Amino acid sequence: MVFDLALQFTVNGLVTGAFYALSALGLTLIFGMMRVVNFAHGEFYMMGGILGYYLTAVLGLNFFLTIAIVVLLMGGFGFLVDWVLIRPLRGKDILTTALVTIGLSIFLVNTFLVLAGTAPRKIETPFASKPLIFGPVVITEARVFAVCFGAAVIFAAHLLIQKTRLGKAMRATFQQKEAAALAGINVERIYGFTLALGAAMAAVSGVLLGSIFVAQPTVGGLISLKAFVVVILGGMGSFAGAVLGGLILGVTESLWGGFVSTGYQDVIGFALVILILLIRPQGLFRTEVERV
Amino acid sequence: MRDESKILLGLLSVAVFLPVVVTDDYVMHLLIMACFYAVLASSLNVIVGYVGELSLGHTAYLGIGAYAAALSATSLGLSIGWTVAIAALAAGLAGLVIGALTLRLEGPYFVIVTLSFAEVLRIISNNWVAVTNGPMGISGVPGPHFDLGPLQFAVSSKAEFFYLALALAVVALFALHRFVYSNMGRAAVAIRESRYVAQSIGVNPFRYALVAFVLGAVFAGIAGAFYAHYITFVGPDVFGFSFMATMLIMVLIGGKGTLVGPIIGAVLVVFLEEYLRAVEEIRFSIFGILVMIVVLFFPDGLVGLRRALRRRSDRAKAAPHPSIVPSVSDVAPGMTEAEAAERNR
Repeated sequence: MVFDLALQFTVNGLVTGAFYALSALGLTLIFGMMRVVNFAHGEFYMMGGILGYYLTAVLGLNFFLTIAIVVLLMGGFGFLVDWVLIRPLRGKDILTTALVTIGLSIFLVNTFLVLAGTAPRKIETPFASKPLIFGPVVITEARVFAVCFGAAVIFAAHLLIQKTRLGKAMRATFQQKEAAALAGINVERIYGFTLALGAAMAAVSGVLLGSIFVAQPTVGGLISLKAFVVVILGGMGSFAGAVLGGLILGVTESLWGGFVSTGYQDVIGFALVILILLIRPQGLFRTEVERV
Repeated sequence: MRDESKILLGLLSVAVFLPVVVTDDYVMHLLIMACFYAVLASSLNVIVGYVGELSLGHTAYLGIGAYAAALSATSLGLSIGWTVAIAALAAGLAGLVIGALTLRLEGPYFVIVTLSFAEVLRIISNNWVAVTNGPMGISGVPGPHFDLGPLQFAVSSKAEFFYLALALAVVALFALHRFVYSNMGRAAVAIRESRYVAQSIGVNPFRYALVAFVLGAVFAGIAGAFYAHYITFVGPDVFGFSFMATMLIMVLIGGKGTLVGPIIGAVLVVFLEEYLRAVEEIRFSIFGILVMIVVLFFPDGLVGLRRALRRRSDRAKAAPHPSIVPSVSDVAPGMTEAEAAERNR
């Protein structure tokens, strides 16, 4: 009985973990690689959810078309954010860029509160909330679909970074900016593209989660914090680490919430971060250390 | 006397007469909040402006101070002298522990871990109902009451609260002034400007950063105690990110790494938030835009703007000096790298 419950909690945790992983992947690009402490990340996620709602419910578009449009819009928005806000601060300390993203976050939350209101929105998908039963575990069709889609997005991003010319240029830029520039890579455009990709991934995560739970303008703060936690758990800029970190956080939270107490569920991520950095100041899956 | 001290004394002499001139209770309330935020922002500025580390967990000390004061006043019945002392001690200890654990971390990690500490405290204060009364918070914190033997005195009117807040601000600014212009403060600035150079001349970055960290925590705790007695209610939101964002914005708009900056920032933000009420719905959107504009175009805040203007007029007057090699000792507190280079030129 307890084992069955544990199994169910684990599956629930893996579902949430998959979304943590997806939104954290975007942040691992922006925070881990570009070293921009992006407090507006949760707002990118939120914008994805709200846009997704308006495109499906108000304009009546197909779910997949909606995701494609959200990716394009939010990618463009990410590029714009980099161009207008981050590029002038390139080379400044992380304090400065963190502050500009805090300003952006305040602006986005409150503007969307005015535009979209406080009401939670649910995004309709072609998949029913019909439960599927595997032995002791129950999971809805919509969740299975969302997790699969999320996994596909993660895989696509992985291919983009590892196999394409653009991905190669990105990796080169973040390894050695000057050398990359000398090799003829337009470094500024790569930075812009990285932020675009990060924002688009956060937004897709927002659409998918909006189809399972709800999309709301004020959700961003918690999402940003969770994404930071996952990125640190997984190691800055590590793709596999972010996926693993997301799943670990999701499962631990779900098990803790199920067996111990739901009130302290949100502490786990922060406690893990504090513990891990005390024991391994360089992060869980990283080896080199810089600080004296 | 230094320029900065002159400005501080000037501000103080104006502030002393404010309750005489201002009769409106609501404006007095805003002035009291401005004093409270001035202490809070100044305490954050020690860490952000002088040590140069972005601590996003400063609400941890504000909250610990507020809860410590509220609890010792409501359940132990202590008077304000004791509650403020307990708040300062509790926040200082928290600063010592958190600082000792986090100051060894690399930049981005430091940011997130300090934030994590504040979040953990927020969640605990929300759930540990037996002590903190959970989301309901602690209400009915008694107003400040001084009991000095024959002299009994209760603070109740807005003007009295204002003088109390002003007194706290004066104590805080005096302590910070002493710190900033001491060898320790200079060492902290040397660390901010270049960690490696500071180490090479024998400054232990960790130790000085920790002293500054604890000092900042103590004054945030004192601000928290004042908040508890003035508002008479303390809830989990004292640990929340909105306080953090507000004080950070104040430090930034006023000018980080200066003593005057956070005060100007506090006054400006408190009144700006109020006057933007005219555009109720979009006032926080405007606020967000303002923050972005300040970071992009006035990175040294209003104080930096004044300096930049003065430097321009100085340059017009003075003939260029022969160049000398810049050294760390020429970096005075409150100067940015560029200004130090300017001075050494």
